[in-house]
Amino acid sequence: MAKDLVNTLADLKEQEAIEIVKDRLSAGDDPFKIMEDARKGMEIVGKRFSESEYFIPDLVYSGEILRVVTELVKPKLTKTTESKKLGKVVFGTVAGDIHDIGKDIVVFMLDVNGFEVHDLGVDIPAQKFVEKIKETGAPIVGLSGFLTLAFDSMKETVEAIKAAGLRDKVKVMIGGGQMSDEIKNYTGADAYGKDAMAGVSLAKKWTGVG
Amino acid sequence: MPVIRDIPLSLKTREVLRRQGLGGGAKVRPEIKSLIRELLASVKKARLLEPAVAYECYTVSSMNGSQISLEGDKAIHGPLIPAIFPEAKKLAIILCTIGPRLEKQVTDYSKSGETMRGMILDGIGSTAVDMLVPEALRLIASEVSSRDYETSSPVNPGMPGFPLTEQWNLLGLVNADEIGVSLTASGVLVPRKSTSMVIGIGPKMTRWTEAEVCARCSLRETCHYKVTG
Repeated sequence: MAKDLVNTLADLKEQEAIEIVKDRLSAGDDPFKIMEDARKGMEIVGKRFSESEYFIPDLVYSGEILRVVTELVKPKLTKTTESKKLGKVVFGTVAGDIHDIGKDIVVFMLDVNGFEVHDLGVDIPAQKFVEKIKETGAPIVGLSGFLTLAFDSMKETVEAIKAAGLRDKVKVMIGGGQMSDEIKNYTGADAYGKDAMAGVSLAKKWTGVG
Repeated sequence: MPVIRDIPLSLKTREVLRRQGLGGGAKVRPEIKSLIRELLASVKKARLLEPAVAYECYTVSSMNGSQISLEGDKAIHGPLIPAIFPEAKKLAIILCTIGPRLEKQVTDYSKSGETMRGMILDGIGSTAVDMLVPEALRLIASEVSSRDYETSSPVNPGMPGFPLTEQWNLLGLVNADEIGVSLTASGVLVPRKSTSMVIGIGPKMTRWTEAEVCARCSLRETCHYKVTG
C-alpha cells in the first residue's frame, strides 16, 4: 500500500492518490507515515523534473496534489507533528522588479513541501527583507528577480542584511529569469536556484532535511 | 503617431506549452492540455486580451558607433543598433501590449491559491505578446513595402549594447499613453505583458529567427522557454 501512494503521487494521478490516502486514514494508518510516503513521491517528481521527464506545470500539479493530501491528513496529525514546519523562509521579488509568477511558483512549492514562507510580494526594498528576517528569525531568504536590473537590487539586499548583522544567521538564495551562478557571486548570495525544485532542494539542504 | 487595436491573435496550445517550459522529453498530461484549452476559452469569453500597438517611423539622419540620430533631434542610443542596422534609412519604434486585464486575473488566481491556473494563464499572456509582435511587424512591413523597403527583425532594450535605460526614450517616441503603457521607476513596462522594440527599415535589412536569438543567448543552457529548431 505504501508503495502505491509514492508511485501514484509520482505519476501525478490525483484522484487515485486521494483515494489511497482516504483508504489509509480510514484503516487507521499512521498519518505521519502517509506524509512520509507523499514526501517520497515528491522526491521522485523532483527527479523526473530535473531529468526533463516532467515540466513546470507537472511540478505545480504535484504540489497541488500534495496540498490536497496534506489537507486530508492534517486533522489526524498530532499537535506535535502538525506544527512541525521544516523551517522559515522570507521570500520576495527585489526592489525595482515587479514580476511575480516565478516567485509565486517557488513560494507555493516551498509551502507545500513544508516550509513556513513569508512572502513579501514584489518590488521589495532591502530594508523590508531585513525587517522580516528580524521579525521571523527566518534562516533562509529567497530573492527573486526576472530582469537584469534585479542584479543590483539583490546585491543591495544582501549588503543590507550584512549591515544589519544578520548575514551569518541566514542563507540567501537567488532565482529568476536572468540569474546564474555568476550573478550569485556578484550579489553575494549563497546559492542560485535555477527553478522551483532547486529552491526547495536548497531550503531542505540548509535546514538539514534534504 | 499610429495606434492599432483589435488585432486578432490566434493562440496555439503548442506555443502556450513552450511558454510553460515544455521541452526535452516531457509529455503533456491530458489534465494540463485540458486546462490550457479551458483557460484559452475563458480568455476569449472574458475578453482578457486587449492587444494594442503604438508605433512611429523616424528617418535616420546620421549614425556613429554609439547612436543613431533621427529626424527632429531624436536619437536611439547604444552601440547595438548602429552595428546591426548600418543600412537603415528609417527606424520604427514599436510598443506592444495585451493590456492589464489578463495579469489582474493571474494575480487573482495566485492570491486565491490557484497557482496552476495563474501560471498557465500567465503563459497564455506571454504567448499573446509573442503572437502580437509578428502581427505588428507584418503591418509595418506592409506599410513600407510600397517604397520597396524591407524591415529587419526587432531588437529590444536590455539586449547587450541596447541599454534598458532606453525604455524611457522609446516610450517618448511613440504614443504610449494612448495604449496605456508606462514604466516603473526602474524601467519595467506596465502592463508587464508588453514589449518595446526597434526595427530597421531600408532597401535591404537583416533578419534572424527567434531560434537564432536563443542560440546566441547567454541563458541558452538553462532557459526553459528557448525556441529551438
